[in-house]
Amino acid sequence: MVLIHVPRPPKGAMDPHRPVNALLQAQMQHLQDAELKLPARLQSNIYINAIKTEGEAGEYIRRVTEAIHHAHDSAAEKRARHARKRTGVIDIAAAAEDRPSRSAGRGKAKKRAKKKSIKAANKKSTRDRKG
Amino acid sequence: MAPGLQSLKHIVVLMMENRSFDHMLGGLSATNPRIDGIQPGLSNPDTSPAARPVPPQPLADFQGQLDPDPDHHFPAVDLQIFGGDTTPNRKANMQGFVKSYFNQRRDRKHSQKIMYYFPPEKLPVLTTLATEFAVFNRWFASIPGPTICNRAFAHYGTSFGRVDMNLLYVNGPFKSIYNRLISAQPKHTAKLYYYDTTSSTMEITNLLQHQPELFGTYPQFLEDCRKGALPEYSFVEPNYNDHDTDGGEEIANDQHPDHDVQAGELYIASVYNAIKKSPLWPNSALLVVYDEHGGIYDHVVPPPCTPDKFTASANATGTGMPFAFDRLGVRVPAILISPWIPKGTVVDRVFDHASIPATITKFFLGDYSPRSPRETTADIFIEPQTGPVDPARNLLSLDTMRKDCPDFDA
Repeated sequence: MVLIHVPRPPKGAMDPHRPVNALLQAQMQHLQDAELKLPARLQSNIYINAIKTEGEAGEYIRRVTEAIHHAHDSAAEKRARHARKRTGVIDIAAAAEDRPSRSAGRGKAKKRAKKKSIKAANKKSTRDRKG
Repeated sequence: MAPGLQSLKHIVVLMMENRSFDHMLGGLSATNPRIDGIQPGLSNPDTSPAARPVPPQPLADFQGQLDPDPDHHFPAVDLQIFGGDTTPNRKANMQGFVKSYFNQRRDRKHSQKIMYYFPPEKLPVLTTLATEFAVFNRWFASIPGPTICNRAFAHYGTSFGRVDMNLLYVNGPFKSIYNRLISAQPKHTAKLYYYDTTSSTMEITNLLQHQPELFGTYPQFLEDCRKGALPEYSFVEPNYNDHDTDGGEEIANDQHPDHDVQAGELYIASVYNAIKKSPLWPNSALLVVYDEHGGIYDHVVPPPCTPDKFTASANATGTGMPFAFDRLGVRVPAILISPWIPKGTVVDRVFDHASIPATITKFFLGDYSPRSPRETTADIFIEPQTGPVDPARNLLSLDTMRKDCPDFDA
């Protein structure tokens, strides 16, 4: 197995102040088109025609790329929350079907309470009559 | 079936930027005549009629020579290919490169640099990979034009009628290769890895905007390689701009002029090393390819091809002539890497970027429609696992896996 040496670029090769090339300009225009569809709170408020260097272009590209991911992540989270809520409602409903219905129970209790109060009232009137 | 094909489960494509075949690999033909590179007698006319023709010279440098960025928009590439002939029965001759570059700075001496190529020892990564694995003598850009529309061919098998850098909206019936894979039954896996969010992707209008979940970063690619968790198809993008991060400086490594070519060499080596050190190396193939020639000289005339179902108007091409997508762009470097490929393989069949979705689709999904006419007729570089394999076409042809593949100290 041969190990091939790969020379490193010289320090001066890196230049974030290099003027943007046509490819980066096109990439920014495409991102701007996407950015305009984002919610206002996620927009960068950067005027791309004023971007002149690769470093500035990179900053804009990063902000919009992250905003796109963020917008999709928020939407996915919201969707999942809704789905969980819906699943929660269904779970409760299913559990309720397995038990005697609350309203039926409440009805029996009401009946029992009514019976009790009638009984008590009768007892009282008998006592009164006796008294 | 050949064991290399049988074991193949992961295909990775790394697409670099804007360098021609002759510029990067042309010097190899001096030691290997099967590689169709620089030969004696090649030249372009100088812009001064009295001067001698300009030959290709091994004087290419890593940075600083190709400034301004050589024009590679449709009209400029038309001039480069046809030498300025606009008559109806014109013939491509690759004689307009110096003329085209001269138009940008009106500097005769400077315009000759468009003919410069790298001596092989200056590009140890690309030339080692080209000689160790399979190098393509006839891989062309899909369109004689710039980046965005050429990259679209790698994702969709068409550019939907575009020959420029403008916004590209999918308005046709042809799905991206990623959507084909993830919506198939049984489901397949696919991912685009951009370098980082500051570099991002060149596929914004359709994929990033609507399906950001398809994307990962380069550190995630490295991690997926390490864990043996690569998707079945991966498309890797380089860093397109010089920028600072919390972790330090990130130098552009896309090799787009005037970005440093050595930084790109390191990046190619890093992608290769990550796959080679991964448990998936026996099951993977890596294609390293360039999106287009970037206005830099190449001597091979791009061949005609099946017209796409779209036509770019005379206004859109900027040449006064419509374009039916019936001719390929200028030749670019392309290398297929796998431990199952015999050392020193040279491929003479014709390919373009439509071959990428064509190959991935055929390999993972078999017959699939609809696909663009260009993709349907594009050749494939990896044979499918189903059906009989033609040994003459199968590049992963070794019976046993190679143990002598090179390593890079990247």
